[in-house]
Amino acid sequence: MATDTPADGSGSVFARPLNWLETQSEEVYAYVLLAPAFLLLGVVAFYPLIATFRFSLLANSLSGAEPFGEFIGLGNYVDLLTGETPFTQQFISVTLADGFPFVEFGAPFLQQALLVTLAFAIASVVFETVIGFGQALVIDQDFYGRRWVRVAIIIPWAIPIVIQGMIFFLIFNPTIGWGTEFMQWLGVFGDNPLSSSTDSFFIVLVADIWKTTAFMALLILAGLQSIDRGLYDVARVSGASPWQRFKYITLPLVAPALLVAMLFRTLDAMRIYGLIDATAGCETVPSLTCLVITALQESRRWATASAVAFLTAIVISAFVVAYLVALRRSSGGVA
Amino acid sequence: MVNADIDPDDGHAGVSRRRFLEVTGATGAAVGLAGCGGSGGDGGDGPIQITMDGEWEGISDSVIESLYEAGLDESIEVEILPGDFESGARRSEFTSALDAGRASPDIFMMDSGWTIPFIARDQLVNLSEELSSDTLDYVDGNYLESAVSTASDPETGDLYGLPLFPDYPVMHYRKDLVEEAGYDPEGDNWATEPLSWREFAEVAADVWEQNGGPDGDEIDYGYTTQADNYVGLACCTFSETITSFGGAYFGDHENLFGPIGDRPITVTDEPVLNTIRMMRSFMEGPDAEYAHPDFPQISNSDLRSFTEEPSREPFTSGNAIFHRNWPYAIPLNLDSEEFDAEDYDVMPLPYGVESGEGMYEGTGGPAAALGGWHLSINPNTQRLDEAVQVLEAFANEDVMVNNFSEGGYLPPNPSVTESVDPEEVGALGDFLDTLAVSGQNTVPRPVTVAWPDQGSQVASQVSDAYAGEKSPEQAMSDLESSLESLEEDLAE
Repeated sequence: MATDTPADGSGSVFARPLNWLETQSEEVYAYVLLAPAFLLLGVVAFYPLIATFRFSLLANSLSGAEPFGEFIGLGNYVDLLTGETPFTQQFISVTLADGFPFVEFGAPFLQQALLVTLAFAIASVVFETVIGFGQALVIDQDFYGRRWVRVAIIIPWAIPIVIQGMIFFLIFNPTIGWGTEFMQWLGVFGDNPLSSSTDSFFIVLVADIWKTTAFMALLILAGLQSIDRGLYDVARVSGASPWQRFKYITLPLVAPALLVAMLFRTLDAMRIYGLIDATAGCETVPSLTCLVITALQESRRWATASAVAFLTAIVISAFVVAYLVALRRSSGGVA
Repeated sequence: MVNADIDPDDGHAGVSRRRFLEVTGATGAAVGLAGCGGSGGDGGDGPIQITMDGEWEGISDSVIESLYEAGLDESIEVEILPGDFESGARRSEFTSALDAGRASPDIFMMDSGWTIPFIARDQLVNLSEELSSDTLDYVDGNYLESAVSTASDPETGDLYGLPLFPDYPVMHYRKDLVEEAGYDPEGDNWATEPLSWREFAEVAADVWEQNGGPDGDEIDYGYTTQADNYVGLACCTFSETITSFGGAYFGDHENLFGPIGDRPITVTDEPVLNTIRMMRSFMEGPDAEYAHPDFPQISNSDLRSFTEEPSREPFTSGNAIFHRNWPYAIPLNLDSEEFDAEDYDVMPLPYGVESGEGMYEGTGGPAAALGGWHLSINPNTQRLDEAVQVLEAFANEDVMVNNFSEGGYLPPNPSVTESVDPEEVGALGDFLDTLAVSGQNTVPRPVTVAWPDQGSQVASQVSDAYAGEKSPEQAMSDLESSLESLEEDLAE
């Protein structure tokens, strides 16, 4: 068989590096094997990031065959951060003011992509974590029918985003939906929830919480099940109350899993697009990703779109760093 | 199999590093080379490809057959590809094909709403230099002028797209309900003699009242149209209504295609404000804030979330009396299970002021926004001559009649619509007279490189005003400043 022939004859070109490799430590060998993967990662992850940054420093060209104009430095970033873009929704448009509350909004709060995205990310992750934790604690218990409860909790997670978006779109559709009348009866929504930024923000938020709480519950459940049950027995014998057991055993031990779950959810929430597109639309609830799509596809302002994308990456990486610091602290005592 | 040596040190069956790298390296290289093997076609042979949409692909045999009958050389093979049905998605697809310099497809079907930016960017073949003078004369002398203008370079007037079919809206209505309420559409020639907006609103309010009205639960809407915050509001429904009241975005209609930065912004004029007030009355009633006291309520605020299909559904399901939409809705409405075909009819859109009495040239009268599609040639095509011959064949009256009867696509030459045998064109045959009147009163979309941004500003401000979040004056003055700043940015 071909592979049975000695390599020395056919692979003389590779003989030297291969001989060198045989003499290296396990660590060097591991890096050599990992090199192609790193190279691939560099091509698919870092190159687009650098290219996006380079594009974002160029001018938009609306009337040339080439979508980019001359080098303008940070001009696109300045426009975005001062609310001077020609879009109906701004990245951010806030100026400092003298009196309380010390800031002035150049555009309504929910028409500023950064604020919409941050508000969405924080609110959705908080609710999903709290509700998900509750669900995880419930399905961690032994009780009759637990299997069915687990299925019920997981079902929303299994529904495709666009289908789920359509469900909420139809609930609030003026001709066939029942949601608008119901919410008006409660006295909270206006006539056309799907064309009001405030109402739509809550619709998208609730839709997201409904769907992804299951994800949080699953990850937290995995954390809960890795806790040694013996610890609870010891605590019980020592007279610890349920709250004390939760505070001193469950919470610290589940914290690393919880933080990882929250990190994933925050990343996802910061990138929200599909759910908005399928319900209220980017005009009504402009997220950061929405702004990239609008700039790219509607305005053909590629450079501005690149700048928004790069700023989005910066905001997301700030969150990642914060989580990693928290994670290091929380696992510091355990690991 | 790979040599499995027993490592004397730990006793595990292992593979030497050398052997492992040789095998994985060879496999990787083979897979990599295989990937390079499948090179893309260069568009040098095979049929001439036209990217249209799924509907056209469905009738492609008959379309291509009619091209050969119109004299296209039968050695030229033609293939119709289904592009995305949604206009914006197709624009993105074409933008990336042209930005990347791809040779395929050879011919694009482009929306009249976004052809001009491609022309401005020099990304299409100049047909004035390529088509025969006979064809150019025929297009010049016979095609719908407003359609040709959205396919031409606004500066030089050169033609870059051959209009394939125009699209203009009509008022769809329930003839049975209108007649039961005591009106006589046939006697009063509604099919060809447009009503004024006031007459229309009074009729709609009366017929609706007799069928339950705003408070009843028999019929939900007297009138449905599209007033959502989307591209269609700016290009079409709002544009045509302000035009019918004698107003405009940029003064005289010759300014619709530029020059950017050197044309007036006229959105704060009274006709524009009156359009908003009228729509407020239609949705909220004449007593609502910012509403026009002379117009009755004939619908409700659901209009603010309606695009084409959501506004058509209530009509087709028997829940609306009047409905503004494009001709595509005619066959769908004729198939309605809620009313019979004879209970349904169409009429031209109403007018605000008489034709010619508007504030600007081209305004006033029953204006209908012009949609529609053009065929344009990819400058990177390897077979320009053959692509040009295909376009020449499309500029043929028999081909137009075939497209009309097979797919319901209106001929770009309005005289063909007027002279066609109604028997020949199926469902649309009964409505030719109305379509001819609408075709004579079209208002093109104000398409320039600034329009994508300006259009979203228009839609956003008009939406705010429709919702009553701003007064019409405030919204239009905000709009004026953002349109002006866009004009200044892009003025060259």
